[in-house]
Amino acid sequence: MNPDPKKSKVLPSNLPNSNGSSHPHSLFPDEVLEKVLSLIDSHKDRNSVSLVCKDWYNAERWTRSNLFIGNCYSVSPEIVARRFAKIKSVRLKGKPRFSDFNMLPRDWGANVHSWLVMFAKAYPFLEELRLKRMTVSDESMELLAKSFPQFRALSLSSCDGFTDDGLKAITTHCGNLTELDIQDSVTVDVGGGWLSCFPENFSSLEILNFSSLNSEVSFEALEKLVSRCRSLRVLKVNENITLDQLQRLLVHAPLLTELSTGSFLQELTPRQYEDIESAFGNSKNLQVLSGLWDATSFYLPVLYGACSGLTFLNLSDAVLQSGELAKLLAHCPNLRRLWVIDTVEDKGLEAVGSSCPLLEELRVFPVDPYDLDHRHGVTEMGFLAVSRGCRKLRYVLYFCRRMTNAAVVTIVQNCPDFTHFRLCIMNPRQPDFLTNEPMDEAFGAVAKNCTKLRRLSVSGLLTDTTFEYIGKYAKNLETLSVAFAGSSDRGMQCVLEGCPKLRKLEIRDCPFGNAALLSGLKKYEMMRSLWMSACNLTMKGCRLLAREMPRLNVEVIKDDGSDEIQADKVYVYRSVAGPRQDAPSVVLTL
Amino acid sequence: MELQLELALSSSSGRGSDPNQDCNRRRKRCFDTAFLGVMESVDSPQTLPLLIWDEKQRSNGELHEQKRIHDLAASDRNVEDDVLVGWPPVKSWRKQFGHHSRRVCATNYVNVEHGGGDGGGRGLNSMYVKVKMEGVGIGRKVDLSSHRSYQTLIAKLIAMFGKCEDNVETYKLTYQDKDGDWVLAGDVPWETFVHSAQRLKLQKNGY
Repeated sequence: MNPDPKKSKVLPSNLPNSNGSSHPHSLFPDEVLEKVLSLIDSHKDRNSVSLVCKDWYNAERWTRSNLFIGNCYSVSPEIVARRFAKIKSVRLKGKPRFSDFNMLPRDWGANVHSWLVMFAKAYPFLEELRLKRMTVSDESMELLAKSFPQFRALSLSSCDGFTDDGLKAITTHCGNLTELDIQDSVTVDVGGGWLSCFPENFSSLEILNFSSLNSEVSFEALEKLVSRCRSLRVLKVNENITLDQLQRLLVHAPLLTELSTGSFLQELTPRQYEDIESAFGNSKNLQVLSGLWDATSFYLPVLYGACSGLTFLNLSDAVLQSGELAKLLAHCPNLRRLWVIDTVEDKGLEAVGSSCPLLEELRVFPVDPYDLDHRHGVTEMGFLAVSRGCRKLRYVLYFCRRMTNAAVVTIVQNCPDFTHFRLCIMNPRQPDFLTNEPMDEAFGAVAKNCTKLRRLSVSGLLTDTTFEYIGKYAKNLETLSVAFAGSSDRGMQCVLEGCPKLRKLEIRDCPFGNAALLSGLKKYEMMRSLWMSACNLTMKGCRLLAREMPRLNVEVIKDDGSDEIQADKVYVYRSVAGPRQDAPSVVLTL
Repeated sequence: MELQLELALSSSSGRGSDPNQDCNRRRKRCFDTAFLGVMESVDSPQTLPLLIWDEKQRSNGELHEQKRIHDLAASDRNVEDDVLVGWPPVKSWRKQFGHHSRRVCATNYVNVEHGGGDGGGRGLNSMYVKVKMEGVGIGRKVDLSSHRSYQTLIAKLIAMFGKCEDNVETYKLTYQDKDGDWVLAGDVPWETFVHSAQRLKLQKNGY
């Protein structure tokens, strides 16, 4: 055990509050407690442990090595540095989820820099950094690259603010890098030069994901990199990589477990076709496959040899018709997760139902979300077909233009194990397609039948009845997304009063006003955050909330041209750090 | 008093005694173009009850609602002007399908062209237009700035609609110009075409 200067201050006999025990001898020695606690990984468990008594609080904070902060503004870097001593990996989330849909101003915040400055001082042995919806400047990346000699893993999901220069700093200086993942980060201005900056002898990479990068990387550099990183198991390239280039990469990395291809459309000679087919055939370890831009029925068969072990097939970039999907799925009996585009239509989903009995997760994305052509995409029939064949379904994200109450009722009877039910009927306030009634009964059935439900997104024409059902039955609900729904304040009140585990509530375009907002006064401190936009909130109501609840940050984002009375976009979150200092001028903290 | 808004191509602007008639009419126009699409010639107007307003909502939210719909997405690059910001909730980085491949189906034509390898697919200089192919229900969008000639454009479109086996010559491309007229493509210089085309239609010759 390494002696820690802080520890020597606390000896069992010094503890004033030992939670009832009056015999010092019966307390665990610190070392034993810490040894036990160091085996606990889950941050939720650790948070519970830290609340038991002062002893345990201290033992926990000295043994925590993974830091998870769900809202970067809920706590400050200084507070974190004071509490935890030995952090090796950090997961940090910034902007509210609606920033993904362009609903926040560009410079809203969630800049990671002040965190990195603190980490450089307090946690020089930091190894992993995973950020979601945060702004990361090139300067921050340089700081990161130069401050942590043991740094291994960088993952940026939905982040922005960096360019090629920042990435170059990472690839040049992080000699022990095992993971570089820029998934779905904003990369419009990011060049591809960084990939060529890995040193000649660099070979530790295990995970590389630049699938969303617009720019080209040097294929020569990529090929060399892949061939010398013998432990590479995840490779996700961008669309600029061609099929024959992909074939060469696959030959160098037959042990890949996860692959995202480049463009799947290229004029190939018969020999090239055979080569890529055989490369896929040799990729026996593939479990996850994505990319496949422009894949068509002519080229998809090259994949078949790699499909038997697939558990996750992400076709959300491949515009396929139902027949193409059906043929492909016939080769994928072990699928657990499937993402598709709605061009496969109901017929394609029937194939899903019949080919994928082990399916647990289905996401159906719209090929053209803004084209309000009602005649295409998927309907309630497709969803029904999947529910009949895939009884283990627990996660669904379904974009459609047509749904009925009866279908949803049947679906949740077929699949009662839903933990995540996200149904998006794309036309706001659209009623049941057959009966013209509100979709209340559909979501009522979801709330009632799916006792494990943790996340729910509702849509369609909904009255307060939907929210009564949710408040009454959805006792495990943690995240709720509501748009264009409800009839009165009562709807929101039912949810706030009825859902004990609610952590995140995001609402847009609903007739909920100040009364609804204020009914959750006590609740918001037990939640991570509340978002309300285009509802009936006023500045007065928001100010009242801010006054009554000093440990909540109540932020109002002003839109251009809005008046002084309405509160257009409101973001409320608990914080022990007080109001933030870095808000842009359009964000008012009350 | 309940105000019920309906969608119809007919310009029934007399929607009851509405003090904000001008705003209402503009709002209705917004929904017309957004929900019915200019290209459709609808014989029987489709009417959908879109919003049911009661007095309470009107006083609180009406001005608010109108402004929101008007202040559109100047920043929203998704071609149709009157789209709600952030709805449907699809991630903005997610590609708009049909325009992203810079390699084209090379079976029957001479030139294989890059659309320029400078990552223009999602950039702010791109010029997306909607394109429909006769007989295919789902339209696509194509980025005109990533092409240099009619040949490659048509070939790309053919690939987009999954008809790779077909010859470029068997198709004819028409476009809607700034005046709203449908014109056969190919008569004007490429640059002129790119700047005046608002929408495209691809048809097989002989129709």
